[in-house]
Amino acid sequence: MLVHLQGSWSPALGRLCMKQLAFLHVPILEYTFAVVALLGLAAVGAVTYFGKWKYLWREWLTTVDHKRIGIMYIIIGLVMLLRGFADAVMIRLQQDMAIGPHSPGYMGAVHGYLTPFHIGQIFSAHGMIMIVFAATPLLVGLMNIIVPIQIGARDMAYPYLNALGLWLTGGGAALVMLSLFIGNFAHGGWYGFLPYFELPYSPGVGVDYWMWAFQLSAIGTSLGSINLIATIVKMRAPGMTWMRLPIFTWASLSTNLIALTSFPVLMVALALVGMDRYLGTHFYTAGMGGNLMLYNDLFWIWGHPEVYFLILPAFGIMSEIIPTFSEKTLFGYATMVIASFAIGGVSWGVWLHHFFTMAAAPSVNSFYSITTMLVGIPTGVKIFNWIFTMYRGRVRFELPMMWALLALSLLIVGGMTGMMNAFASNDYMWHNGIFVVAHFHMMVLVIASSIFGAVEYWFPKLFGFKLEQKWGKWFFWFMVLGTGFVFVPMFILGLAGMTRRLDYIPYTAWGPYLHLEMVGIGLYGAALLFFLAHLYVSLRDRESRRVGADAWGTGRSVEWMTHSPVPSYNFALIPHINARDEWAWRKDNGLTELHPGDYEPIHMPKNTGVPLVLGAFFFTLAFGLTWRIWWLTALSTAAIVIMIIVRSFDTDTDMTIPPNEVERTEKRRSDRASDFIATGVPPYAGGPVGTATAYQRLPEPAGGTGASSGGRL
Amino acid sequence: MSGHAANPLHHPEVSIANGKTYLANFVISVALMTVALLVVLSGMAPFDVFLVTTAIGGLTVIIQSYLILHTDTSRGQFWHTFSLLLFVPLFIVTIGLTAWMFHGLYQRTMIMPARSGASPMSLHTRAGTR
Repeated sequence: MLVHLQGSWSPALGRLCMKQLAFLHVPILEYTFAVVALLGLAAVGAVTYFGKWKYLWREWLTTVDHKRIGIMYIIIGLVMLLRGFADAVMIRLQQDMAIGPHSPGYMGAVHGYLTPFHIGQIFSAHGMIMIVFAATPLLVGLMNIIVPIQIGARDMAYPYLNALGLWLTGGGAALVMLSLFIGNFAHGGWYGFLPYFELPYSPGVGVDYWMWAFQLSAIGTSLGSINLIATIVKMRAPGMTWMRLPIFTWASLSTNLIALTSFPVLMVALALVGMDRYLGTHFYTAGMGGNLMLYNDLFWIWGHPEVYFLILPAFGIMSEIIPTFSEKTLFGYATMVIASFAIGGVSWGVWLHHFFTMAAAPSVNSFYSITTMLVGIPTGVKIFNWIFTMYRGRVRFELPMMWALLALSLLIVGGMTGMMNAFASNDYMWHNGIFVVAHFHMMVLVIASSIFGAVEYWFPKLFGFKLEQKWGKWFFWFMVLGTGFVFVPMFILGLAGMTRRLDYIPYTAWGPYLHLEMVGIGLYGAALLFFLAHLYVSLRDRESRRVGADAWGTGRSVEWMTHSPVPSYNFALIPHINARDEWAWRKDNGLTELHPGDYEPIHMPKNTGVPLVLGAFFFTLAFGLTWRIWWLTALSTAAIVIMIIVRSFDTDTDMTIPPNEVERTEKRRSDRASDFIATGVPPYAGGPVGTATAYQRLPEPAGGTGASSGGRL
Repeated sequence: MSGHAANPLHHPEVSIANGKTYLANFVISVALMTVALLVVLSGMAPFDVFLVTTAIGGLTVIIQSYLILHTDTSRGQFWHTFSLLLFVPLFIVTIGLTAWMFHGLYQRTMIMPARSGASPMSLHTRAGTR
C-alpha cells in the first residue's frame, strides 16, 4: 500500500469491519435503518405478492425507452430530494437547539443533539445530494422525456447509452445512501476542502464515499449530455429548422453543452484527490510541490457551469409553461435563444467568484466581479420576455403556471442578491456566510419550483391524466410559506454576520430568527404531506381526469400532438414541422384531426439488461475502492470491461414494430381519447389554408408523400 | 437508430482505424515522454521545466488525436475535427484565466523561504534570478 492507513485493513474485507456498521451503534441510525429495512421489505414483498417482478424487469429495469428512463431518473431524484430534505431538517433542528452556552446537549453532543462530526456529514450530504442526486436527475429525467418528443423523434440517439447513464447515476445515489449505514460520509462540505480532505486529515472512508459517488454521477451525466446533444442535432423531425426548435430543447442543448465541457474537469479534479488519497501523490497538499488552491480552481471550473447546467433547463421549463397558460406565443423567441447561450457562455468565465477571498490580485477579482454581473443581462432579458409573454395574454392560474410564476418571483430575489454577491468587496464581508447560502437556496428553489411546475405540466402527457388541483394548491402555498419563513430570516442572519455550517450558535440574539426558520421547516414538512396527498388523490381519481393529446387545451409545441400517454414509439408517423409553435399552428389551421391512412413498420431499439448490470458493477467497483477491497475492485473492473466488449459485438439490438400493431395501438389510444376529448379540448377556429405537410415518411420517396391519404393536403 | 444493426466493425469511425497509425502513435508518444523525462532530469530551471513539459504534453495530445482519432479534414472526419476545434476557446479561457490568477496568487500567498522545494510556478519570480 502506497499510503499510510489509520485503522485496520484486511485483504478480504479491506477497511470494512463490524465497528464500521454504523447502524448498529448510532441511535438515530438504528431507527432510520429499521424504517428503511421495513420499507424495503414491504416494497419487495408487494412486488412479489402482486407477481410484478417479471413486469418490473421487462418493462422498467431493462428498458431503453427514453420516457421510462426519464421517469426512473425522476423517481431517483424525488427519493434523493426527500433524503436531502431530511438532512435539512436535522441541520435546522441542531441550529434551533444549540443556541448559547446554556443550551442543553443530548446524545453525546455538548449542545443540541448532533456532534460536530455528525453535523459535518449531514451538511456535506445535504449539499451534494441536492445538487448532484436530486436536482440533476430530476432535470436530466425531464430533458430525457420531453426533448425527443418535442423534436418529433422516436427515441434518443443512443438509447443504450441513455440507460447506462441512468444506472450509473443510480449506482452513485445508492453509494451515498449506503454511507448512511456503513462507515460515514465526508464531513467537510459538499465541494470538499483541500487539504482537509487529504488522507492524513480525513482518514475515514467518508471522503472516499463522497469522491466515488460524485465520479459515478459525473460519468452518468456526461454520457447523458452526449446523448442529448446528438439527439437534438441529428434527430429533429423534417421541417424542424433551428429557429423552429421549442425553447425547452434550446435550453437543453445549451445546458448539455455546458455539461459535456465541464464535467471532465470535475472528473480530473476528483481523480487527483483520489491519487493523493490512494497513491500518495501531492497534487493538493500544502507542501511537496502540491497546491491546495488548484483544487478550488478546478472544482469551481466545473462548479459554476454546473449551476447553470441546473438553471437553464428550469428557464426552459418556464418558457414552455408561461406561453401555454397565457395563450400566446413566447415573446422574443430569438432573444430567448441568444440569452440561453449567453448564460451558457458566461458560465465559463465567472468561477473565481466562489473564492474571491483566496487573495487573487484586485484586477483578477474585478474581472470576475464584472463577468458575474454580466450574467444579469441575459437573465434580465428572459425575465422581461416572460413578463411580456403574459402581458395582454389570457393568463390562467393553473398549477403549472403558479409554479412557473413562483420560480419567476424567486429568480428576481435570487438574482438581485446574486448581484450583491458579485461585488468582491461585499464577498470579503460575508464569504462563507449565511447570506450566500440564502442566495443560492433562492436559485435552487427556482429550479425546484420549475421542476414541480414541469411535473404538473407534463404529467398528463406521460400518464394520460391530470394531477388534481386542491391538494396541489395546498402543497404550493405551503411551499411558498415555508420558503418565506426559512429564507427571509436566513437573509437577515446573513447580514448580521452568521457563517455557514455552524454546529453551535454563540449569539443568543440570533435565536428568534433560527426559531422562525424552524417554523418554516415545519411548513415545508406540511407541504411534503400535502404533496403525498396530492399524488394519492390524483392516482385514486385518475379516471375522472383523463385527457386527450392536448392536455391543457392550449399546448403549443410538438409534444402535444401525440397521444397521452405517449406510445412507446412516440409518433406513429414522424410529423413534418411547419411552424415554430407547430401544434398551435395546426390548431389555427384546422389540421388537428389528421390521420395517416396506413402505417409503416417502426424500427426501435430492443430492451437490454446490460446497462443495469454495468451500473451494479460500477457500484461494486466504487464500493471496493471506498473500502479498499482490492479483489472486489479488480473483479468489478474486469467484469465491466468484459461486458462492454461482449455487448459491442451484440448485433441483435433492434426490433421492428409491425404496422398492424402500430395501427392497433393508435386506434386504441384514439378511441380512448375520444371518450373525454370533448371536455378536455376547446373547439378551434380556422380551417385549412395553403399547402401543409402533416406527416413525412422517412426516408422520403421521390415525388413526396401525396400518395397516402392524409399525407399532403 | 437505423444502421446500428450493422456490424460494429463497419462503423466509419471503427473502419478508419489501422495498426500502422496506432504503432506510429505509440512510438512517438514514448519518444515524447522520454524527452519530457530527460528535461525533468536535466536540471533546467523549474519554470522552464514546467513550460517545456506542458508544451510536450500539448503536442502529444494533438499527435494522439490525429493518429488515433483521425481528426483530419477528410469528408467523414471533418465535423469531428471541427467540433473538437470549437473547444479550443474554452481551453484558452480556463487555462489562461487560471494562469492569470495564479500569477498574482503566488506572490500573495505562497511566500516561501528561498531554496525550499516548492511547485514550479511558485518559482516564477525566482527563476530569472538564477
